[in-house]
Amino acid sequence: MSEDLRRALQRIQGPDELDAERRAWAMVRSSFDAREPLAWQQRNRRPLLLAAAVLVVLLLALLSSPGRALVGNVHDAVTSEEPTTPKPVLTALPAAGQLLVNSSTGPWIVQLDGSMRKLGPWWEGSWSPNAEHVAVTRAHRLAALTPDGTIRWSLARNRILRGARWSLEPPAECCRIAYLNGRELRVVAGDGTGDGPLRNVVGATAPAWRPESIRKLAFSTVDGRIELVDADSTKTIWRTDPGEVPTQLAWSEDGERLLALGERTLRAFDANGRKLWSIGHPVGASGVVFARKSHRFVLIRYSPATLRSDLVLYQAEADPGEARFLYSAPGDFGSLAISPNGNWLLVGWPDANQWLFLRLTSAKVESVSNIVEQFGGKSSAPLASSFPKNVSWCCPASP
Amino acid sequence: MLGPGRQERSWIRGAQGGSASDLEALFKEHWPRAHRAAYLVVQDGAAAEDIAQEAFLSAIRNLDRFDRRRSFGPWLHRIVVNRAIDWARARSLRREISEAPGSEDFDTGDLGRFSDGVAAGLASLGPEQRAVIVLRYLLEYTPSEIAELLDLPRGTVNSRLRRGLDRLETILDREQQ
Repeated sequence: MSEDLRRALQRIQGPDELDAERRAWAMVRSSFDAREPLAWQQRNRRPLLLAAAVLVVLLLALLSSPGRALVGNVHDAVTSEEPTTPKPVLTALPAAGQLLVNSSTGPWIVQLDGSMRKLGPWWEGSWSPNAEHVAVTRAHRLAALTPDGTIRWSLARNRILRGARWSLEPPAECCRIAYLNGRELRVVAGDGTGDGPLRNVVGATAPAWRPESIRKLAFSTVDGRIELVDADSTKTIWRTDPGEVPTQLAWSEDGERLLALGERTLRAFDANGRKLWSIGHPVGASGVVFARKSHRFVLIRYSPATLRSDLVLYQAEADPGEARFLYSAPGDFGSLAISPNGNWLLVGWPDANQWLFLRLTSAKVESVSNIVEQFGGKSSAPLASSFPKNVSWCCPASP
Repeated sequence: MLGPGRQERSWIRGAQGGSASDLEALFKEHWPRAHRAAYLVVQDGAAAEDIAQEAFLSAIRNLDRFDRRRSFGPWLHRIVVNRAIDWARARSLRREISEAPGSEDFDTGDLGRFSDGVAAGLASLGPEQRAVIVLRYLLEYTPSEIAELLDLPRGTVNSRLRRGLDRLETILDREQQ
């Protein structure tokens, strides 16, 4: 029996074994490439320390009987791990710009020096171009605020308003705000005039203005098609095939690529609405963000097998390429935001009540703890519900 | 447990120094059995891939602290098998909550690939029993080594092995009749 069993187990092959090996090697290799090897002295620090410590202890033990008391301390020094200690408060951003943070207590603006201002009792907000205004919603009301919280104008509609997004034209052309009134998609001018419906029933996804174009808006239909519409003429420019209704739409900075992230699939489209590819994931990926001036993007990928989340890098080209592993931690990651200079990635880590700042050009990671408390939430509430839902990292303020 | 061979020590030293080819040699040496062990314990292709991959990523993250006098295999297998057991337990728990009584204990979707009754027999065992059988007969550890890898008393390992083998034998006999 034993020998038969041994042979049987050694004959069994897992499904897709070669492809699994190829995928795993790509991940392992990119993780290896991203690490910074220690110098010989650092790598051998533990044995060197141990040897030195033993020598010191022996000498002290020879010279004095109290020297024996050192043994415990030396042991601790040699075996203790070196965790990176998160900062207890956000004292500064690692790169220029301002954050707009949608927390459980409302939207907040965080300046480069770490100073924070709550915008008022609104549910969520989004930046205007150049961070001159913020579009905010609460229940039936939409408003445009200045960054100090002053209301410039507001309007009310019959259903719950959300998903307000400010169009990205330069000031001379400025601007429109698209928002959802229940499942109705509406558009209003940046000065609060000309409010009107664009589509009567759409998917429950915040719309996304196409960058580098004038008033072209992408949204999801109820059957998961992605449609690009001219917001002025209301005409459809293109519409994709049906698919999963996305939870997030994200344009590349040049407006040439669009990602539709759903609970089970991620679809990539080109500027003409042609599908480049679609990849599945076993559990809902919770966020995606394009790198600056690039078609590469970072995706949060959660593994139910390991109960960890990974940040992986793909490209929105004809082929997504091998996933390049960036970072991994236990539990869920939440929001993602790229700094205006493109060098830093902010990652929300609700399970640890932390924000991670990953420097994309090196292996450097900085972390800040107590995020819930810093944005007015209660640490006694479940972290998943009180942790800030999303963050956008905007352009430096106008002089 | 036996110490690492000279070749493996050389790969680890090279990988610690930044050699991708040494890392690849180490990966190719250990991936197939780590992946297969995970698969036999969790009986789910995607989960097995995730578990084995995560174990390797963990190894990369800790490569600089790895003691070259130790063997890489047991260290990797400890991570793989313990995570696989955790995953299989969590899956059983989820099914207890979400499925009606009388449902299958395991998803046999991937088992169609197996050509003999061993797979079906393994599927009828609990994850802890599967783990000790895989460690003993696929990865060829002694009961004492398994006890060390799983942090269990040796007597527990022996009894899990005995009960697992008995059950496998019963199922294989039934299939042959």
